[in-house]
This record gives sequence, C-alpha cells and structure tokens, in this order.
Amino acid sequence: MSKNDPIDLRQDLRQDRRQWLKTSATVLGATLLPLPAVAAETPQAENTPAAPETKPAESKAATHFFTPAQHALVDALTETIIPADSHSGGARAARVADFIDRVLRESLDDNQKALWREGLRLVGIMSRHYSGKSFVDASPDERIAVLTVLSNNDRMTDLPEVRFFVELKRLTVRGYYTSKIGIHDELEYKGNRILQDFVGCDDPTPQSS
Amino acid sequence: MVESEVDLTKTYDAIVIGSGAAGGMASHVLTGHGLQVLLLEAGKKLPIEKELRSMEWPYDNPYRGALPLDQHSLTFNEYTIRNPPYAAGFEKTKHLRSYVGNTDYVKNIVVDERENPFTGTNYAWVRARCLGGKTNIWGRLALRLSDYDFKAKSRDGYGEDWPVSYSDIAPYYDKVDLYLGITGVKENLPYLPDSIFQRPTKLNCSEVTLKESLAKMGRVVTQYRAGVTTDGLKHNKYRSRCYGRGACERKGGCDIHAAFDSPTGLIYPAMDTGNLAVRTNAVVREITVDPQTGKASGVHFIDNQTMKDYAVRARVVVLAASTLESARLLLLSKSRLYPNGLANSSGHVGHNFCEHIMGPSVAGRAKNLVGKPPTLDDGRPGGFYLTRFRNLAEKNPKFIRGYGFEGGSGSTMFPRGTDTHGFGAAFKEEVRKNQGAFIGMGAFGEVLARYENYVDLDPVVKDKWGIPALRFHYKFGDNEHRMAEDMKETAQEMFEAAGFEIVHVNSRVLTEGWSIHELGTARMGGDAKTSVLNQFQQSHDVKNLFVVDGSAFVNASCQNPTWTIMSLCWRSCDYLADEFKKGNL
Repeated sequence: MSKNDPIDLRQDLRQDRRQWLKTSATVLGATLLPLPAVAAETPQAENTPAAPETKPAESKAATHFFTPAQHALVDALTETIIPADSHSGGARAARVADFIDRVLRESLDDNQKALWREGLRLVGIMSRHYSGKSFVDASPDERIAVLTVLSNNDRMTDLPEVRFFVELKRLTVRGYYTSKIGIHDELEYKGNRILQDFVGCDDPTPQSS
Repeated sequence: MVESEVDLTKTYDAIVIGSGAAGGMASHVLTGHGLQVLLLEAGKKLPIEKELRSMEWPYDNPYRGALPLDQHSLTFNEYTIRNPPYAAGFEKTKHLRSYVGNTDYVKNIVVDERENPFTGTNYAWVRARCLGGKTNIWGRLALRLSDYDFKAKSRDGYGEDWPVSYSDIAPYYDKVDLYLGITGVKENLPYLPDSIFQRPTKLNCSEVTLKESLAKMGRVVTQYRAGVTTDGLKHNKYRSRCYGRGACERKGGCDIHAAFDSPTGLIYPAMDTGNLAVRTNAVVREITVDPQTGKASGVHFIDNQTMKDYAVRARVVVLAASTLESARLLLLSKSRLYPNGLANSSGHVGHNFCEHIMGPSVAGRAKNLVGKPPTLDDGRPGGFYLTRFRNLAEKNPKFIRGYGFEGGSGSTMFPRGTDTHGFGAAFKEEVRKNQGAFIGMGAFGEVLARYENYVDLDPVVKDKWGIPALRFHYKFGDNEHRMAEDMKETAQEMFEAAGFEIVHVNSRVLTEGWSIHELGTARMGGDAKTSVLNQFQQSHDVKNLFVVDGSAFVNASCQNPTWTIMSLCWRSCDYLADEFKKGNL
C-alpha cells in the first residue's frame, strides 16, 4: 500500500462499525463476545506467570502493566502518534511506552486499565483486518492507516476503540512533551533558567514606562 | 528567625487566627508596634522549597509533575455533577483535593476535601491549611481598588458604599508596595490606580499587537501587575529578587520567594522582632468571650495532629482565617451573650458573600508568529492584564459593574495546541510551528454582593475535628450571567480586532468559587444594623475583635483582592495598636 492508494477505512467504520469487527473475528476464528474472555490477539504472548506465592511487590506483574508483547505494541502505537522526524526523536526515543506503563501500573482507575487492555486488543484486530499483519509487523503506512480510521472518527466515543485512541493520544502527548527529547530537542524550550532580564518582544515600538 | 516552644499559659496582647495574607500582615504590623502576638495556623509548617521545587523538570519527576495517582483533584465536571462534600465515588483515592491540587507541587498545600467537608450549593472551595495559606500558591496579580469600587453604590445605586475612600487606603497600598515589592507599569488610570512599581517585565510580541490594537478602542493592556519583587528588598533577607526563571505558569509558588508569600514576606520578619510566637496545627474551634465584659477573651483550638484541646487568652482577637473560615468561626462562637454567633447582632455574618465570576475566555493565534524560531516567552511572573472598560464612562444596558482579563502568550514548557486534530508527522510539526503563536485570556468579573448569597453552619455534618461544617447558599445571579455573555463577546471582538486567528471561544461559566476570590461575609459599614465591622475592621459588637481578611469587603470589585486585603489590614492594625495603647480595647 502506498500513500497514494489509501484504503477508505472511514467508510468501513461509518457504515457498520460492527461489521468489520465481526468479519475480523470470523477471519481469526474467534468469537468476540464476551470481549475480555477472548484473547483474539497473539494469545501466545500472554505472559502471566504470577505465582500465588509471589508477593505482589516482587512479581513481574506488579512492576509492569504491559506484557512484553503489549509494550512493543504500545511502543509502535506511540511512535505512530509522534514519530521521529528530521527535527527530533519521536515517542519511542522518548520512552513514552514506559511512561504510560507507569501511569497504568499506578492508576486506581480500573476502567482506564480495562480500556487499554481492550484497546490494544482491538487495534490488533483492526490491523489484521486491514493489512493481514499485527500492528507491530505492519509497515509504517499500514499503521498510519489503522490510526487514521480512529482519528478521523475521534468523536465517536461510544466506541471503545475510539475512546482508546483518544486516551492513547492524550498520554502519548503528555509523555512526549514532558520528556527531555520533547522539551529540549523538539520544542527547543528556552525557559526554566536564570535570566538577568526578560527579553520580551524586541518590537521597536516604545512601551510606556 | 528562631522558632521556640510556644507558651500557651500567658495572656497575649493579641491572637491572630490564620497565617495567610491577612494574618501575616496583622502579625507584621502588630509586632512592629510592640504588641506580643500569638499567630495560630490550622495546618503545618511545610518544608515549602521542597514542596514547590520551582525549577524541577517534568522528566525528573516520577509523575512528570502531575498528582501521584493515588490522589485525585476534582474536575469541573465533578464539581458540577456531584454534590458536596464529594465523598462518594472517590473511595479508592488516598487524598481528594480541590481543582487547584492537581500537581505534585501543591498537593500538600491544599487540604484534603474529605477531612474538610462542606454542604449546600456547589462551590469550588480552595483551602490551603499550612503556614502562609494560599499565599504559597497565589496567582500574584496585585491590583488596587479605586473609588469606582469603594463608592460603587454612589455611581450605580446598587449595594452599599465602603466606609472608606481611596484616599484613606492609598497610603497603605503604598506601604504594602514598598514592603513587599510589586512589578508593573504606570498607566494613570482613575479606575485602576498605579502602585509604586519595581522594574517591569515586558510584553511578548502578540501582546504588543493586542495592546496597540486595543489602544485605538480606548482599552488598556498592561503588564501583569505581579506581587513579585523584581529589584529585591533590602529589608528582607528571606526573599530573593525575581530572576525570570520561567515556569511561573506552573500552578505553585516561587521557591526563591520573589513572589510574595506570607511566611517569608511577613511572618519570619515579624518573628525576628521577638514579639511573635507561631503555633501551627492549631485548628481554632471557638473564639471565647468573657461573660462579664462581653469582650473576646481568647480562643479554643484543637491540635491538628494530637486532637488535644487547648485554650489561650489574649486581650485582642484578630480573625484572619479567610473569608469563609472567618465567617464560620464567628458563627461557631455562640454564647449566651451572642446566641447568633459572635459579632452578629446585625445578622449579616455569612451574608453579602461575593467573589469573581470566571470562565469566559478566548484563545487565538498570531499568524505572523507561526513557524518562527522558538523564543523565551514565559520567563516572567505573569503575562498581561486587560483592564476594566465596562460601566466606567458609559452605562451598559445589560449589567452593572465590570470585568478585566488576565492573559498570556507564547511558548510554554508544555506546548499549547496539543488538542490539534490528528496525529503523526503533521501533528508533531503543527504543534512545533504554532507553539509561540498562541495567545489567550480569561475574564474575572464582579459578582454582586447580595444578602441572599450566604453561608451558615450545617446542622449535621462535621469536619475531621468534630467542628460543624459550612453550608453554602450561593449562586451566580442574572447580572453575572449577562456579564459573562458580554465577556465572551468582547473577548472574541478584541482578538479579531487584533488580527488573531480565533482558535477557541469559551462561554462556559466555571463553578462558583473557582476564582478563589471569596469575599464579603462580614462586611464593613457605618451602620451596625447592616454591617458587621466598622471601617477599621473592628466588630461593631465586640470592641476587641477585628476581622482583617477578605470577609470585610463590601463588594468584590473586579480586581484581585490580595493587595487590598493587606492594605486594609495594615490600616486596621495601626488603628488597633493605637487603641490598644490608649487602653480603649
């Protein structure tokens, strides 16, 4: 797929948003409902070793919210939201996925956590539906195509995948523009240092004093 | 300053309740006159520099500066759809904060809402219980009132005039300017008198555009008049001058104390006189009365930590607990002599409650700044102030009184404009190119003082210390809503006139209380039947009781109140000390 030949994903979503979900579910040989019970995406990556004897503070589950496979997916998603370009590094270099992991690990909001788990699963389904590949394996253009569907419909917040996109963008933006790369390389922020005098506007217009 | 064990057995000349702008000023003035003063603060003395960490980069903070995730600060929607005291639905959160408490830097400065419940109508009540109170995190806009405010009734017939004129207060505004430091530019406006300004900050380029454009309409944009010392203060060793370090937009105070706060500006110097004792963690529950004389005799307080009850005696009681807490304490101080609460023979305590309405705002983009190399735009204590223009010379047909706008512009550490639609390379470039081009402003308007807007004590709900909670009966009225409509329209008009591309116009009125400028629950006046205090903030009923905070205001004006609170307080405490020495109290 090239940039000149985009598939009209918006139509898919507008016409019958459940249709593509059903289709993809059929393709994957899985049923969609009940949603949390089905690991439609990469079930082999489910890595839940939490042994009952292990204290939560010491277990892997307590130190990371995302499984390694989910982390790789979030890394790819955030980099698609804010990519590296000739000006500066992107979300991957700024380790935004680590930031989001921490937010979710410490969050008391079960709905937020559920939204992320469900959203990652749905993005995986969407990616397979449109390109036949997982989001991580898809090409940059194929990744953009999936997120474009969600972004172009970002007011349809009754859909969990759209709510997930909004939340993904929110936390990516927050993580990126509070990172070293975001503040210094990307925005070249000049403040937060000691000044003898504030420069202000060097407009020649004299100001009253 | 030396902190020593506080002697609670002796009778002080004066007890000051509350350590914010008013309590700090009362301590400064009274100790300066040689009175032996005990200052009581309900909260702790925080290691404030460690809390504020003004120059910490977000990436060096575990939450990137946000509130730790086991705490929650209330949002606009939550204030709107839930009823006080906001307990239900937040069971999991360790601490529940007001909307201000939404960063890692202020989380310990504002109170836990569940420990400090209130009931009745919705109100975004922001309380800071710690030494210095809200002055630790105030917005710093330091404006004077004029006779357009003090004599507003004479101009439009509404409400009451103050029992003072600008000429009475002007010398005290001067004293506050010189003692605490203020930056700004003289404009010679009759309705917004100039202060004695230190070195001004400068306007950014889009702000210069706005200023020039509005000058043609006869409207005034001036540098943010900040209660910040830009030249330094030779008489104060606890405060540094402003070094324009930026990041001042972060909600939170100034860890070098260039911005005024009550502890370094007033309390520590007062301790250095040897005349001030400070007792923190002292939650005052009652002002006690001598049944023989009818005068105030001291206070009862509960230790915040140990819950133990204490009594202290004083010859004069100076109440400075903040507008709403002071009203609450007067109502709590019921006795056989004063069955309706102390200083309340008029029935006006808690009433005539007023503040500033806010919410209507505009955001725009200066097109000529899009794509320009990044500049340093936030290395200053504030942006700009657009002064009042309604109901000065002309009479507006829709509403009385006025409003002003606070605004800012240019690059900030966290960029404006991340709500741009889309994602990817184009989104990233859009945010980068526009970062210096944004300009925005929001209005603060006068809420009329009305007897019907009031607070009283809840008959059932009590706070963590068993003290009856405050109950609100308070709503914006028609005049405010008509004014808010006008704010939105003029904001847009003025940005369009300046040639800015309008990005967003907000007409939403924020929850009552949002401005944190609550005023007027124990108003001054010449008539003891319709007011609580005389022109020296002295109770009409109880001669040795003074209420020196914002509760004394007769109306709210549209100017931010802190500088006026301190100026009135200075004047009243000069009078207090004089009367004290004459034996009249």
